[in-house]
Amino acid sequence: MKTKKIYHRKAIMAIWFIALILFNIRCSSDTESEIVDLNKSVEVEVTAVLTDAPLVPPRIQAKANTKVIVHLEVIEKTMRLADGVDYTFWTFGGKVPGKFIRIRKGDQVEFHLHNHPDNMLPHNIDLHAVTGPGGGAEASLIAPGKSAQFSFRALNEGLYVYHCATAPVGMHIANGMYGLILVEPLEGYTPVDHEFYVMQSEFYTSGTFGAKGHQDFDMQKALDEKPDYVVMNGSVGASAGQNAMTVKVGETVRLFVGNAGPNLVSSFHAIGEIFDKVYVEGGSLINRDVQTTLIPAGGSAIVEFKCQVPGTLHLVDHSIFRAFNKGALAQIKVIGDENHTVYSGKEKEEVYLPEGSAIQHISSPKTTVSQQAVPEKTLEERLAAGEILYKQNCMACHMENGNGIGGTFPPLMNSDFLQARPDKGIGIVLHGLQGEITVNGNNYNNIMPAVALSDDQTASVLTYIFNKFNNKKELIKGADVKEWREKE
Amino acid sequence: MLRNGGKKNDDPMKQKKDLLVMWLLLLTASGFSQKTDMVLIPDGNFVPFIKGQTTSIKVQSFWMDENPVTNAEFIAFVIANPQWKPENVKSIFADKDYLSHWKDTIVNSNTISGEKFPVVNVSWFAANDYCKSVGKRLPTMYEWEYAGASLPEGSNDNKILNELITRWYSRQNTGLSNVGSIYRNQFGVWDMYGQIWEWVYDFNSISSNEDSRNKEEIPEGFFCGSAALNASDASDYVTFIRYAFRSSLKGEYTVRKLGFRCAKNVESED
Repeated sequence: MKTKKIYHRKAIMAIWFIALILFNIRCSSDTESEIVDLNKSVEVEVTAVLTDAPLVPPRIQAKANTKVIVHLEVIEKTMRLADGVDYTFWTFGGKVPGKFIRIRKGDQVEFHLHNHPDNMLPHNIDLHAVTGPGGGAEASLIAPGKSAQFSFRALNEGLYVYHCATAPVGMHIANGMYGLILVEPLEGYTPVDHEFYVMQSEFYTSGTFGAKGHQDFDMQKALDEKPDYVVMNGSVGASAGQNAMTVKVGETVRLFVGNAGPNLVSSFHAIGEIFDKVYVEGGSLINRDVQTTLIPAGGSAIVEFKCQVPGTLHLVDHSIFRAFNKGALAQIKVIGDENHTVYSGKEKEEVYLPEGSAIQHISSPKTTVSQQAVPEKTLEERLAAGEILYKQNCMACHMENGNGIGGTFPPLMNSDFLQARPDKGIGIVLHGLQGEITVNGNNYNNIMPAVALSDDQTASVLTYIFNKFNNKKELIKGADVKEWREKE
Repeated sequence: MLRNGGKKNDDPMKQKKDLLVMWLLLLTASGFSQKTDMVLIPDGNFVPFIKGQTTSIKVQSFWMDENPVTNAEFIAFVIANPQWKPENVKSIFADKDYLSHWKDTIVNSNTISGEKFPVVNVSWFAANDYCKSVGKRLPTMYEWEYAGASLPEGSNDNKILNELITRWYSRQNTGLSNVGSIYRNQFGVWDMYGQIWEWVYDFNSISSNEDSRNKEEIPEGFFCGSAALNASDASDYVTFIRYAFRSSLKGEYTVRKLGFRCAKNVESED
C-alpha cells in the first residue's frame, strides 16, 4: 500500500511538472486528490436527500467527517414502459432508475436497505462506490418485509453505479434495479447552473417494441443480448417531450450519466452540443471537447457543457438505432435568444442537382444573372446547347423523352399548357412555377424552382423543348428572354 | 412507511377486543379444517442446482401434501397449541409479522374468505411444529425441488413450467387464492409454483446446517455475482431465484408470500 502510494505521488509530480512546462499551469484545478484519513472521527450526522431522475440532490454542505444515513426501499411495481406498455419493475425507491445518492469523499455512510413486505423476492444492493465484499451485497440480502444495515467509508471519489446483486443478477438488473451514487470530491465540482441525472438501460420483453399490454421479462432475449427497449431514465420518453429537462441560453449543465446495461455499452452523445468536459468513466480523468463518450455497462460518465444557442438537445446512445427505434433518447430544451454568431439557423434552402446543373432557387432572386447583351444564335446552335442544358437541369423531373412522371411532374411532350403560354415558358424557367395546373387534361400540383440560367441558356433550353417534344417549332431568342425578365 | 402491515398503534383496549373477535371467528373457522390428502411421490433421480460432490442424487419415495397448509388448518393447530397464538409466540420462534394477515383477511372483512387460502406469515419453527403435530414433517429441499420439477399435467415441455414460473415473478404481486387453483403437476401435487413460496426442512442447507439461527456457512457470494460459478445450470433463472429466496431467510422470519406443506416418510406409513 505504502509503496503504491509513493509511486502514485511520484507519477503525479512528474505529470504536474510536465503540465507546468507545456500548459503553463492551465489545469490548476486538477490537484492531487487527498487520501481519506480513516482515523478522523465523525463529527456531523445527516440523512441523505435522495432524488428521482432527472433531478440530482444538492451537495452536502456539512463539514468533512460526516456520517451520512441513507434509507433506500425496494419496491416491486407495475409501471409504464412506453405508451400502452406496462412492465413490472423491481425498483430502488419506486422508480427506474433508482434514487440518486450524493455523498462526499471521506464520508461515513450508514446504509439501510428495506425490502417492502408486499414484494415477491429477496433483494440486496451492490454499490460500486463501496470497498468491501460484494460492494455491500453480502451484507444486505433481505427477504420481503426485512431491512438490512451496513456501513462503509467513501474512499474513492467519482460517479458510481449501484444495482441489485441477488441471483439471478442479470434478471434483477434487467427488471430495473440500479441507480447512481455520486462520491463528490472534497473540494466539490466547479459550480454549474444545472445538474441532471440520466441513466440508460435496456429491457427484454415478451413482445416486440411497442407491443401493447403488460410485458413479461424474456430470459432468452436477455441471454441473446437483444433488447426490445433501450431507454433513458427508465421508460420511453421519460425525459423527453413534455418531460424534457429545461435550461436557458448561456447556462452551464453537468450531466451525471450512468449505464445500467445489463448488456449494452452506450455511445453517449448530445445531438447539437459538444461536451466541453468529460470526467471519463465517472472518475478523475478529464477529457475536453468530446463528441461521444463511451459508457460501459455498470459504468458512468460526468459531462459538462454550456448551452449557447436555443433549441432542443437530444441525448442519445449514438448506436443510433437504439435512439430512434428503441427509445434511447432524452431531451434538454434550451430556451432563450438566438445567437447567430454561434449558429445562424437556416440561411437558405436550395434544390441540389448533382449533375453540374445551375443552382435552382426556391424563391426567385432578383439579380443573380448578370444583365449582359444576349447573343443570338441559329436553331442548330440553340438545339445543341439546349440538349445539354435540358439534360443538366430538366431531365431529372421531366424525363429524357419529355413525358414527365405521371401525376407528379407534367409532360413537356405535346404540352398544351406550354404552347398556350404567351411567354413560351420563359417565365417558368426564370421564376419557377407553383400550384395547380392542367396539362393535357391532367392536373398537377407541385413546385418547380426557378432555374438560374442566363438569358442565352434559357433561350437554348426552351428552343430545345419546343422543337424536340412535338410542340410548335419555335426559335426562341435571347432578346425574348431578356424582355420577359425585365417585365418582372 | 415500510411496514404498512405492521401498524399496531391502536389503543390497547381496542386491540384486546379485536383479538377476542378474532378468536371467536377462528373457532368457527376450525370447523372447516379437514384432513389433508397426501400424494405418493415415486423415487427418482434429481440433479441438485448447486454443484456438489454428486451430479445426480436419488430421492426416495415419500408422501407429500397435495396442497399447501391452509388458514383453516393452521387455525385448528393454533387453537390446539396456544403457544403458537400470535400474542404468545416467542420472538426467537417467529418475528413480529407472524400471522399478521389474519386480522386483515379473517377479522376485518368479517368473513372467513381466506380459510382455504394457503397460510402465510408463518416461521419455519411454526411450520415445523405444525407438521409434527399431524404426524408429518417438512419436506427436504431436495424432495421439494424434485416434486416441484414435475411438469404440469398434460404438458411435456420444460419451457411451459419455466414460463409459468417466470410469469409469476414478472407480474406485480396480487392477493392469494384458494389452494388447488393454479395447476396440478404430473405427480398430482397442486400449486408448487404460482402462488406462494414454501418452507423446506433444510431451507438453509446450502450450509448443511439445520440450525436456522446459525446460517453463516453459505458459500461466499452464492447469491451475488459468483453464483454462476456454483450453479449446475447458470441459465436456470427461476431456480436461482428460489435458492436466493431461501438464502435470505432465517428460521423466525415470516413473509407475506411464504407458507408450507408437509411430507412424510413412506416407512412410517402404517
